Amino acid sequence: MAKKLMKGCEAIGEAAIKAGCKLFFGYPITPQNEIPEYMAHRLPQVGGTFVQAESEVAASNMIYGAAGSGERVFTSSSSPGISLMQEGISYIAGSELPVVIVNIMRAGPGLGGILPSQSDYFQATKGGGHGDYRLLVLAPWSVQEAADLMQDAFDLADYYRNPVMVLGDGLIGQMMEPVEFKAERTPCKPLPPKAWVATGCSGDRPTNIINSLFLDPEVLERHNQKLKAKYDLMVRDEVRCASYGTDRPYEVLVVAYGTVARVCSTALDDLREDGVGAALFRPITLFPFPYAELRAAAENARAVLVVELSTGQMIEDVRLALEGSRPIHFLGRQGGMLISPEAVSERVSAISAGLPEEVRHG
Amino acid sequence: MDAMTTPVRRGDVYEALAAPVVILVGHFGSGKSEIALNLGLGFRARGEKVSVVDLDVVKPYFRCRQAREELEANGIRLVAPEGENAHADLPIILPAVRHLLRHGDGKVLMDVGGDPVGARALGSLSDAVVMDRTEHLVVLNFFRPYTETVGEAVEMVRAIEAAARLPVTGLISNTHLLSETTPEIVLDGLEMADETAGRLRLPIVAAVADETTARGLVEDALPCPLLVLKRVIRPPFEGTRQQRKVGPLFVLN
Repeated sequence: MAKKLMKGCEAIGEAAIKAGCKLFFGYPITPQNEIPEYMAHRLPQVGGTFVQAESEVAASNMIYGAAGSGERVFTSSSSPGISLMQEGISYIAGSELPVVIVNIMRAGPGLGGILPSQSDYFQATKGGGHGDYRLLVLAPWSVQEAADLMQDAFDLADYYRNPVMVLGDGLIGQMMEPVEFKAERTPCKPLPPKAWVATGCSGDRPTNIINSLFLDPEVLERHNQKLKAKYDLMVRDEVRCASYGTDRPYEVLVVAYGTVARVCSTALDDLREDGVGAALFRPITLFPFPYAELRAAAENARAVLVVELSTGQMIEDVRLALEGSRPIHFLGRQGGMLISPEAVSERVSAISAGLPEEVRHG
Repeated sequence: MDAMTTPVRRGDVYEALAAPVVILVGHFGSGKSEIALNLGLGFRARGEKVSVVDLDVVKPYFRCRQAREELEANGIRLVAPEGENAHADLPIILPAVRHLLRHGDGKVLMDVGGDPVGARALGSLSDAVVMDRTEHLVVLNFFRPYTETVGEAVEMVRAIEAAARLPVTGLISNTHLLSETTPEIVLDGLEMADETAGRLRLPIVAAVADETTARGLVEDALPCPLLVLKRVIRPPFEGTRQQRKVGPLFVLN
């Protein structure tokens, strides 16, 4: 049986195995427990190691240490747990280590609830931890895409020696869809041997040191600029996005990511039946954000509607992309409430009919 | 295995499930909740008094309790945590569950959480189960991880029996790949379920197929009754406009 019926969490776990990941450290939290459960089951079968850490703080430091060996390693958690990991993630970015972090978002702030949300957009794309660093952030909209992006995430992390985050809402983690894993997979980036690993050298080469402490300000500044140069390369080379319905004339451009984009695509099918022209723009990388691509897609529209399971965090990036060239509308639900295709259709129709509302800040 | 050799019960699925209490167990994602909801609606449509018990203490989403409105609109009692506890990932077992198992009340359909872990909740109730009038059925989908082979399915059944502290009385063959299901997939799964049943000396009580796939199956040629399933709990982007408007539709909220 080539395809399997998998939950997003299971597909993410299997994708890590397929990408050659041998190490997982994590701590349970709903709604992503199926990831550690799957890894606990699968890793021993492939000669890997699963450790349930005593906390998310510990898990983030375990992946830091493990990544120093050059082995592929990942952790997963959900919003409150990811908050606890921020110190470790900052150290990992500072030490230029390749790790993959999966955040299956639940509603917050604080303990919040266990239902789906997208309210960690700021945390994922604008920092989270301290210091001048970035995560490369990938946002799948289906179980298959979660599996594919998870495998790419390991390649991207190795290539840039930087933490990569796969960001899904709770629905991606919990829903089931058919998934296929290719027997042979080519890495999405060229991957040279890891010459920087700290695995012992018996005096054969200069000692490799993995570290994020730079007391000399000149040295630290050079390090900061080196990191910045990597992020610039990501911005230049790694932008990913998709669109739906842009091959037909459209008045309203809907911008959404993750499963919310799925809901919007269903709404667009309905709207097409009703003769309302609307299209969908879907960022797949949230950092780097597809500014130029969104700007180009919006040029064919009269107005833009941002749809999110938050109070509107991606709006800031949409505004940067559009630079005031189009009015921006917002539709959001929070707390674990979902957006229905009908709610999207209704708002798009209203905008199409001339709804004057526009997102204003300040 | 050349032919279906295990004892099976032909005929109507509702007749095959005559026991007043039907308990569904299996791997998480094997289809227990959907089958419980469909059987509940089916028995109700046949005029029976029906209670659906959501004993899922394992997975946080896609549980029977999300179909509360649909069930209640059809006059079916849903026994599940209410209020904010409905959304909790806590091992809550309502006192009514024990009462229903012990004394019955029309038809009782119990959806137990997945895996041996989920069956542990049932284990805590096993002293209240009267086996003479209870079917304890394992739902199998060979497309799911952990139950991809007959060997794994046998292991799953035995582990569930141990955790539930109850003997399993039969299997439900529910091999599918959602919208990509074909009649061949259902038949291949049925054959694997048959082999599993043979090894465990259990009957296959029913096979399951969605409406579209069922049209491609010759029901008389099946070795067991067929449950034609309409998916009740869906992600919000699925289903036609009509389905979403009139239900049965899901939704987390």
